[in-house]
Amino acid sequence: MKTDTLSGNNHLNSIEQRSSGRKLLVLFSFFALTFAAIPFFYLIKGAFSGELDLIKTVLLREKSLEIFATTIALMSCVSVISTFLGVSLAWCLHNVNLRSNSLLAALVILPIAIPSYVYTYSWMSIIPNLQGFAAAVFILILTTTPYITLAALSALRRSDRAQLEVAQTLGLNKWRSFYLITWPQIRNTVSAGTLLVALYVLSDFGAVSLLGVDTFTRAIENLYRGSFDRSAAAILALVLVAISAILITIESNTRQRSKVISSSNKLMPSSAEINSQRSRFLASLLIGLYLIFALIAPLLQLLLRFISALPGIDYANLFKTALSTIFASLLGSIIALMLALPVGLLSSQASRIGSFTDKSLLIVHALPGIVMGLSLVAFGSELPIVYQTVALLAFSYALLFMAKAVGFVRTSFLRVPKNLMEIAATLNQSKAQSIRRVMIPLATPGLFTATLLVFLSAMKELPATLMLRPTGFETLATEMWSATAILQFNEAAPYALLLVLIAAIPAFLINRPDKSEESGVNIS
Amino acid sequence: MPTRFKKSLAATVIGILLGSTLSSCAASDQGQSLTIYSGRSESFIAPFFKEFTAQTGIELNIRYGDSSALAAQILEEGENSPADLFISQDAGSLGAVSVTGVFSKLESSLLDRVGSDFRSSNDDWVGLTGRARVFAYAPDRVSKLPTSYQSLIENQYNGKVGIAPTNASFQAFVTTLIQYQGLATTEMWLQKMVENNVKLFEKNSQIVTAIDSGLIDLGLVNHYYLWEVSESLNRQINVKNGFFTAGDLGNLINISGAAILNQSTNKEAAGELIEYLLSDSVQLKFVADTHEYSVVLVDARPEGLPSFAEIKAPSVDLSRLSDISQTQKLLIKLGLI
Repeated sequence: MKTDTLSGNNHLNSIEQRSSGRKLLVLFSFFALTFAAIPFFYLIKGAFSGELDLIKTVLLREKSLEIFATTIALMSCVSVISTFLGVSLAWCLHNVNLRSNSLLAALVILPIAIPSYVYTYSWMSIIPNLQGFAAAVFILILTTTPYITLAALSALRRSDRAQLEVAQTLGLNKWRSFYLITWPQIRNTVSAGTLLVALYVLSDFGAVSLLGVDTFTRAIENLYRGSFDRSAAAILALVLVAISAILITIESNTRQRSKVISSSNKLMPSSAEINSQRSRFLASLLIGLYLIFALIAPLLQLLLRFISALPGIDYANLFKTALSTIFASLLGSIIALMLALPVGLLSSQASRIGSFTDKSLLIVHALPGIVMGLSLVAFGSELPIVYQTVALLAFSYALLFMAKAVGFVRTSFLRVPKNLMEIAATLNQSKAQSIRRVMIPLATPGLFTATLLVFLSAMKELPATLMLRPTGFETLATEMWSATAILQFNEAAPYALLLVLIAAIPAFLINRPDKSEESGVNIS
Repeated sequence: MPTRFKKSLAATVIGILLGSTLSSCAASDQGQSLTIYSGRSESFIAPFFKEFTAQTGIELNIRYGDSSALAAQILEEGENSPADLFISQDAGSLGAVSVTGVFSKLESSLLDRVGSDFRSSNDDWVGLTGRARVFAYAPDRVSKLPTSYQSLIENQYNGKVGIAPTNASFQAFVTTLIQYQGLATTEMWLQKMVENNVKLFEKNSQIVTAIDSGLIDLGLVNHYYLWEVSESLNRQINVKNGFFTAGDLGNLINISGAAILNQSTNKEAAGELIEYLLSDSVQLKFVADTHEYSVVLVDARPEGLPSFAEIKAPSVDLSRLSDISQTQKLLIKLGLI
């Protein structure tokens, strides 16, 4: 690991060593940033490589306005409804006594393992003529709600129950006390989750493509598939990246400093306390309906399709594809961790360079897979050694999901108690040594989670994989996609089901309800 | 714990790197292999590839995609292209790549198998199968069949027609219109189609499915998608093929074809594959299994379809369909792609 190089000679002057260690850290972060700049460079190069005339044609046609309006409308609808639904689900799970709250919480989060195109595929098998904007809103709500639920749930668990009880003794009703006491405490985490959902919708490819909704990603795909001149696709991709960047800026500017005055909340029992029949009925109804739409119906459909596909399953290929998927995703998550370690470490030390790097990476994270694919194909075409190799595919995963890992790395380092580092310092350990001997071991579980998170996202990735995979190399996602494309819904089922099953493992490990304080939305 | 974590991480990384190197070495050691970019979809052509590998032992790495996208990819990759062979579902994509000079000349033994209408005038690509543009329609919902592609802008077809503008075969049809009628007239027709609420699809097969499910009544496709959809749904579908009046530009005849790239280090094996695909038995298999016209055996055509002579397609030099860029620019401008 890169931090190895930070360890130095015991006898050196510790101040000198601190600055040299820091320099190395900055250097490695700079490397990470340089890698992250590659897609942008090739995107800009691609956009301006064609005739300048084309930029005008692409941007000034009526269709572009339509694409813009559709994208923004889809993003707004999904973000608002998902946030509302996700917070409601989390509130119910946290406050209403449903007898098995932690099991329900695990189930409500589980859809994180199901990518949008699998949802679309199963719902299209249930409702054959499922098409259009409303359908896309429906599918994307199912897909993105768990991100909000997860964020809200972890924020609620960290929130201060004592204040709430004081408020209720003072006669505030549930709504008022939620608005006045709870909401300010969870707002920042939830809004980070909403940003994540908005970015997800902007970059979603599978659902809009299958449902025929003309958003930016679908338009980019159409231009990519239907035209020899790839600059047209790059131009639209640049516009999409700009929208994502604006969104991130708005979110971080509207974020308010949370004025949480923590009291003795650790001592308060955190069990769900609302026991009234009516609340329990309504909460069960909400959670039940969500689970039926997001988990039970699609999984049942996959299972039925799987059973009818049973006689014709090519088990050898299924196994090989699963291995390929795991291999590429694992390689991607390891590269991501390598890149994320120095950046996370730097930004946990509250340095300006660190937070700059952090912010820049967030914009890379907002790059839709299809855009990443487009620019890395251009990059690879000039570098035959890496072109169409698993290495380049894994590298694209690392770039796409590195920002998620950085968030986890940073929080895990921040969680290391400061006084332990100070004790290490008084024991004559240099900064580098204390990082190695104290911080990294304590942060290891968090680093593991970061790796899992990238692994999970990489497994589900579709558009960049379609463009960058080596010829003949199939992942579960691409196999499923090509079977769906030729209407072989039954043949697609084993791949989809296996994908969801494998993805459920990291999804469950990351979001174990008993450890949910460590989870949450970690892109901010 | 920390060192163990680091060691296991290092071991994993080394293991993965070693594994990938070894597996790539192993792949190159296993006799001959060819890399193919195939614009023909997997469901049509994969069985033929499998059979070829079984007969010759030549391994095939196949990258499936849209013909236009794969042509663009070859153009972008230039001399670095890993592809040995490009198989396209239309002549236009072959032509567009051909003009940049990245294809190598084919052996005359291959070219001579195929009639001169169905191969490149530069001898650098050859047709594999023939196909006709048709309109697919739902017989119970379309009482009056259109006589020309121009009829489709009439009010009676408002919102009922489907096209697939990203599809290479559709683009070849528009290119033909431009050649015959000029850019302005073609643009006007397309504009009127848009105003007549033409529905856009990504693939021909989606158009046929949409007709079957009642979403639209009519669509411009290649003739063989009827069978593809029916076979993948495993049932009869409520869709028929129709031809415009003999001689109409909407009745374009096109080919799927193959070309070998200049920098291929395995041209001999690539030639072997083309030879295999042009052999009499495989041509008959194309007719029987994928319901296409043979480009070798003049009379071999799918049951129930008119011969090329009966269709009286517009006489188009397929080699000249290469100016697809102009067509694509027009489609982009109109918001169709």
